[in-house]
Amino acid sequence: MSKITEAFNNGKAFIGFLTAGDPSKEKTIEYILAMDNAGADIIEIGIPFSDPVAEGPVIQDANLRALSKGINTDDIFDLVEDVRKESSVPLVFLTYINPVFYYGYEKFFKKCKDVGINGIIIPDLPYEEKGEISEFAKNYDVDVISLIAPTSKDRIRMIAKDATGFIYLVSSMGVTGVRNEIKTDLKEIIGEIKSITDVPVAVGFGINTPEQSMKISKIADGVIVGSAIVKIIEKYGGNSKEYLEEYVSKMKDATKI
Amino acid sequence: MMKENNIRNIIKNTIRNNIRHTIKDDNIKDDNIKIKICGLRRLEDAEIINKHHPDYVGFVFAESKRKVSFDEAKAIKNLLNTDISVVGVFVDPKIEDIFYLIKNGIIDIIQLHGNENEEFVAKIKEFDNNVKIIKSIEMRDSRNKNGGNNSVNKEENNKIDIKNTIKRWENSDVDYLLLDSGKGSGEVFDWSLIENIKKPFFLAGGINSENIKKATGLKPYAIDLSSGAEENGFKSSKKIAIIMDKLNEMKNMNNGRYGKYGGQYIPEILMSELITLEEQYNFYKNDFNFNEELQRLLNEYAGRPSLLYFAENMTKDLGGAKIYLKREDLNHTGSHKINNVLGQVLLAKKVGKTRVIAETGAGQHGVATATAAALLDMECEIFMGEEDVKRQALNVYRMELLGAKVNTVYSGTRTLKDAVNEAMREWTKRVSDTHFVFGSVMGPHPFPMIVRDFQSVISREIKEQLFEIESKLPTAVIACVGGGSNAIGSFYNFLNDDVRLIGCEAGGKGVDTEYHAASITKGEIGIFHGMKSYFCQGNYGQIAPVYSISAGLDYPGIGPEHAHLHDTKRAEYTPITDEEAIHAFEYLAEKEGIICAIESAHAIAQLIKTAKEMEKEDIIVVCLSGRGDKDVESIKNYKIAKTSKTSKIAKTVKIAKSEELNEGSDLIE
Repeated sequence: MSKITEAFNNGKAFIGFLTAGDPSKEKTIEYILAMDNAGADIIEIGIPFSDPVAEGPVIQDANLRALSKGINTDDIFDLVEDVRKESSVPLVFLTYINPVFYYGYEKFFKKCKDVGINGIIIPDLPYEEKGEISEFAKNYDVDVISLIAPTSKDRIRMIAKDATGFIYLVSSMGVTGVRNEIKTDLKEIIGEIKSITDVPVAVGFGINTPEQSMKISKIADGVIVGSAIVKIIEKYGGNSKEYLEEYVSKMKDATKI
Repeated sequence: MMKENNIRNIIKNTIRNNIRHTIKDDNIKDDNIKIKICGLRRLEDAEIINKHHPDYVGFVFAESKRKVSFDEAKAIKNLLNTDISVVGVFVDPKIEDIFYLIKNGIIDIIQLHGNENEEFVAKIKEFDNNVKIIKSIEMRDSRNKNGGNNSVNKEENNKIDIKNTIKRWENSDVDYLLLDSGKGSGEVFDWSLIENIKKPFFLAGGINSENIKKATGLKPYAIDLSSGAEENGFKSSKKIAIIMDKLNEMKNMNNGRYGKYGGQYIPEILMSELITLEEQYNFYKNDFNFNEELQRLLNEYAGRPSLLYFAENMTKDLGGAKIYLKREDLNHTGSHKINNVLGQVLLAKKVGKTRVIAETGAGQHGVATATAAALLDMECEIFMGEEDVKRQALNVYRMELLGAKVNTVYSGTRTLKDAVNEAMREWTKRVSDTHFVFGSVMGPHPFPMIVRDFQSVISREIKEQLFEIESKLPTAVIACVGGGSNAIGSFYNFLNDDVRLIGCEAGGKGVDTEYHAASITKGEIGIFHGMKSYFCQGNYGQIAPVYSISAGLDYPGIGPEHAHLHDTKRAEYTPITDEEAIHAFEYLAEKEGIICAIESAHAIAQLIKTAKEMEKEDIIVVCLSGRGDKDVESIKNYKIAKTSKTSKIAKTVKIAKSEELNEGSDLIE
C-alpha cells in the first residue's frame, strides 16, 4: 500500500493545499508543518504556474504572488527537503503539466523521490494523456492521482481501474474556489467508483466549512480543501500559522463527527 | 544548362516527395494498431487482402465453416503479398501438422485455441525459434447464460477463471495473447474484463465498423476481424474498406496528434465533451444537409468564394514572381475568421447547444462569433483581456451591437492568452448547453482539426481559381501565423503538392529582444492550452509574456499542426518585425490600393523578400487574411511617434507614442 493510501487508514482524511512560495519559501515550510501538527493527513503543495486554468481567482492570485517573489521548481524541491527533516506527512504536488515537462520527466520524478514527494496531481493531464508521465512516476514511486468529475460518467470505470494513491473527486462543475453548496450527486459517483476499486476517494472543489467537511466525510474517504486555506494565507500573510492550525484542526475534527 | 535545370528539378522533387512521405509515416507510426483478417478460404480473397493490405491474415485449420485444407491455404498464400504475415489457426492440432506448415512456408505464426499447454509451445519453439505463437483465451462471460440464484457467484468465479488463465499465459513463452468470446463465435465479450494485460494482445470477437473505435481504445496490439469483414459468409472488399478507412482515420488522428504535437491536455471535466464533440463533428462533416447549409452560408452570407486577385503593380515593381492575393479581407466581418465561426456555430446549433463562448485578442474572432451567433440565434459571450478591451474599444462596441456580452478579463497579462484561460474556465462551469468556439487551430483536439477543416476552404479555392487562370500550382503560398488558422487554411490543400509554404510569425521588435511572439523561431516545445506544441516560455516552463504590434499574432503558442510541419520541414516559418510589417502595410496600400490588417501585412513583408528572388514564371499567392480599418489609427500614431523622435512634434503625440510602444512592455513587466 502506498504511503498516500495509508493516510486514509486513520479515519477520514483531511487533505490541505497551499501554494509553494506564498508568501515565501520559509513560510511555506512553516505552514506545511503547522497543518501537519493540526491534523492534516496529506498536504498538497502547489507548484505555481503562470496560467492555472483549473483554478478560481483565489488560487490564481496565489500562483501569481508566489511567482512574482521568484520561486521556482528547484526552490520547491529544496523546501520539501527541509519539510522532510521534520515531518513524515504524505506530500503531494499539484501543478500543471508544462512545468513538469519543461523540467524533464525523468529528472522531475527522480527529484520527487529523492526529496520525499509521494504523489502528484496534474489537472491538465487527463487519463488519455497519462502516458506522458506514468512510467517515470512508477519508477520513482510517485502516485499519479486521478481526477474524476461530475461529467466523467462512463469514463469513471476506466479512470478508477488505473487509479493509485487516492481518487480526487471534483465536487462540482467549474474551477477551484469556495462554494456555498455542492449539488452533484456525489454518493452515486462514489458508489460507482467503489464498485471498481478500493483506492480511497477524496472530494475537493468548494469545500470550506466544518459542516461541509462533516457531510462529505459521511460519504467519502476524505476531504480536500484548497482555496479556503489559501485565503487565510492571503489575508494574514506571514502571520497565518495559528489561523491555519485552528482552521485545519476544526476541519479535521468535523470529519470525525 | 537546360539539362542541369532538369536534374535540379528532379532532385528538388525527390526531396519534396521524401518530406511528404515522412509526414505521412509519422502520422501512422504513432498508434500503430495492427490488423488481422481471419478466415480466408477463396482464391479471390487474396486479391481483396492485397488491395487492403492488413498486417496479418489467418487460415483456419480447425473444424469451422471457414476451415481450409493445407493445399487450399498454400494456393491462397502464394497469391498474397509477401509482407503480409500468415497465421495458422488451430484447436489441439497434431504437432507434425504445424511443423509441416512451417517448413513449407505456408504459415508464419501459430494461433492456438485448444487445450495446448506450455510443453506444446516449447516444442514449437524448439522446432523453429523464429515462429511467433498466439494463445487464444476465451473471455466468455456467464452473465446471460445463468439466470438462477447462483448467477452472481458464477459470474465472479468465471471472472476469476479468466484472470487466472490470462495470468498463466502472460507468464509463458507465447508471444501474444488473443482475447475472444469463444472459438471464433463472432460475438462481442464483456470488454471490461480487459485489465492490465501484460502481453501484447489481439482483440477478436464481433469487431466491426461500428465498434472498432471503442476497440482501439482498449489498446490492443492488433484487431482481429472475421465475420465483421464478411458479407453473406465471405470476405467483403467493401466491408474491409470501411473498417480500414475508419482505422486509418483514427491512426491519422490519434487523439489529434500531428507527429508528437497536439493531444488533449485538458481538465477531466471537459474530456467527455471533447469526445462527444469529435463524434458529432465526424458525423456532421459527412452529412449532406449540414454541408449544404454551411456552403450556402459561406456563399450567400460571408461572400465566398473570396477573390483571387492578380496584383499586377506589385508584380511589376518587385520584378520577380507573379503575385496573387487571396482576398479573405473581403469576407463578411472583414477576415477569414468567419469561415471557421460559421462552421462551428452551425455545428453547435445542430447538436442542440444554445450558447457559444469565445476568446478574442484584437476582436476579429469575437466580432465574427458574435455575428454568427446573431445570425443563428444563439446566446453569445466573448472573453477579452483588459488590455485589448482598451486597445480595441470599437470592436467591443461592435460585439455588443451584435448582441454579445463582452467579459473583460483581468487575470494574468490581461491579453489573448488570458482570454483563452478565462473562456476555458467558463466552459468548465457550463458545458452542457455551451460550445466554446476556438478561434484558431489550437487548443485540445478536436479543435485544431475542426478549425483547419473549416479554414481549408481558402486553399481549396486558391487551387481552383489559380488553375482556372494559370493552369498550374503556385510556386509558394505565404500567410501570417499567430495560432495559425489562416495559414493552415491556405496551406492545407497544398500539403501534398510541390508548393513552398511559408508562415510569417510576429517578430515584434526583433527576435533577439524579449518583445516578440515568434513561437517557432524562438519558442520551445511545451504543453499548454490543451496541446503540445511550440511556446514562448520563461524559466521553469512558465508561459512567457509576448509582444507584437499586431494583437492577432500576440499569442505565445502556435497550432500543433504547424509545429509538425515545421519539424518535418514541409513548411518554413520566418519572423517579421513590426517595422517590416508596417512598411509592407504602407507598400500594399500605395501599390494596390488595399489597406490590409497588420497581421496580414506580415505576410506581405515576406512576399516583398521572396518575390524578388523568384523567376517570372513563378507564382506566389499571399493570403490577405483581414482588412486594415482596425489598425489605421494605431499605425498612424506609431508613425507620428516615430517621426517625433527626431523632429520633436507636439507633446500630446509623444504620449500617444509611449502608450503604443508600451503595449508590449506592459506584458513583460
